[in-house]
Amino acid sequence: MEKVKKKSNIDKYTLLFIAPAFLLFTVFLVIPAASSVYYSFTSWDGINPNINFIGLDNYREIFKSVRFRNALRNTIFLTVFVSLFENAIALGLALLVDQIKWFSNFFRSAYYLPVLISGIVSGFIWMTMFNYNFGVINGLLRSIGLGNMTQDWLGNPAFALISVGIVLIWRGAGYYMIIYLASLQSVSPELLEAASIDGASAIQKFRRITLPLISGAFTISFTLSLINGLRVFDQINVMTDGGPGFATETIVYLLFNVGFREGRQGFGTAVGMVLFLMIIILNTIQQKFLRSREVEL
Amino acid sequence: MKYSNKIKNIILIVVAMLLAVLFFYPIFLAIISAFKTNGEILADPMALPSSFHYQNFIDLFNQSDFVGAILNTVLLTVISLVLIIVIVPMSAYAITRWPSKLTKFTYNYFLAGLMIPFHLYMFPLFRQLRMFGLFGNLAGPIIVYVSGSVAFGTLLYCSFIKGIPLEIEEAARIDGCNPFQVFWKITFPLLGPCTGSLVILNGLGIWNDFLMPFLVLPSNRPRTITVEIASFVGQFTARWDIVFAATVISIIPAIIIFCAFQKHFVKGITVGATKG
Repeated sequence: MEKVKKKSNIDKYTLLFIAPAFLLFTVFLVIPAASSVYYSFTSWDGINPNINFIGLDNYREIFKSVRFRNALRNTIFLTVFVSLFENAIALGLALLVDQIKWFSNFFRSAYYLPVLISGIVSGFIWMTMFNYNFGVINGLLRSIGLGNMTQDWLGNPAFALISVGIVLIWRGAGYYMIIYLASLQSVSPELLEAASIDGASAIQKFRRITLPLISGAFTISFTLSLINGLRVFDQINVMTDGGPGFATETIVYLLFNVGFREGRQGFGTAVGMVLFLMIIILNTIQQKFLRSREVEL
Repeated sequence: MKYSNKIKNIILIVVAMLLAVLFFYPIFLAIISAFKTNGEILADPMALPSSFHYQNFIDLFNQSDFVGAILNTVLLTVISLVLIIVIVPMSAYAITRWPSKLTKFTYNYFLAGLMIPFHLYMFPLFRQLRMFGLFGNLAGPIIVYVSGSVAFGTLLYCSFIKGIPLEIEEAARIDGCNPFQVFWKITFPLLGPCTGSLVILNGLGIWNDFLMPFLVLPSNRPRTITVEIASFVGQFTARWDIVFAATVISIIPAIIIFCAFQKHFVKGITVGATKG
């Protein structure tokens, strides 16, 4: 008797505890996300209450559009470039911080500091550094006699995307360093010591013990940085606004431009669906990788 | 052996120091530029300020309603965080402590939400905010921040609640507490480190957010610190000194909070990365 009463009691509380989070999540995330499937099949402009269903036209346009192809190319280039350097630098920093005996906390914080700064602010600071006339970077090049290498870093289509990428790497590396560091610190010192006694060199120890044991962190960190790379917006907004021309217009920036500046939110939503698909693919690959590694271990 | 170890350590420290300088330099540059005149910044961006020049901050507050922007940013961050801390741990508690078909479904339902990018659903979301009268005021971003934190927050709390022994809760239940009281009086205080991580990671995200306040809040009034800075970049193209002053105001609180709660950052990132 008492058991039955207790059970119904808990069910009431389950509902009470879950309901606020469940409702908010459903109303302000799931429903808009689900309805974006519908909007992606319309020519909605964002204002007009009459929404016309146009079938697959938006998707057809995406695959024919030169502008989308350019945005896709920019996105892939920026994401891969940033992720590769971010992870290489983050792993290097993590190994360094892990090896250092003194002040390792101080160095960890120093490398992490840029993560705290907003995309807008980091974009502004670096925009002034990249400035042709008054920027620190050209100033440095001139002062060491490499004046012929000065560039209009953000105004030259050949360098603009790379310059934005450098800012992203500077701001992101510290974040992934924390992930690598946590993984490095879980490698047991006994294992490394045993290897030393058996006569393994430092490089052998790194390749045969440390690297396999942190491969999980590598997969996670690499996927996260790819997904975050796909979503970059703030730095592009403040540094280049997608330009010069369309040189730094990524998929997210294209979505923003067509949706808010050109009044084509139906098309913008379809672009968003393509972005979502890319994220799902990356996530699936990550899951596969992690699982196959687990089997090996 | 010991001697060579010491040398190795010193070399590593020197390398680490050089890298730290490299990472810190842009922030340092922003801070010194905030205290230089515009002429000084343009003449020699690397030089230190010639005097303690705080006119930029005075100009910033006189020429724009930056106080309003700071106030908005603080309100958005604080109210969202309070709501997140009331709503999210309760759902995580129900999911971990009372396993049932409903709670299992809820957990997976929330997890699936982690993958959905904001950009995918922002157009329909804004339309919905308009219908509810939440567009153009602070309530809109707040409710979206809270809804957006449910997935990650539940994940983080679930992993912490699992580590809290049931015996403590049982004692309270025997003393006549209902589940609501058990959670808020007994379990929640033990979740301090997790709450700390969540507050810091979400707080930083909201403090630094740009796109949502930029699009949702009305443009004829001050919006948030980041939105104002972005608009200064276009508006005061000739006055970098003012923008740098605003930049420093935006950075300082983040750095202070980071220095005070370092551990929580590390914990939040590692749990979030490995479980997400």
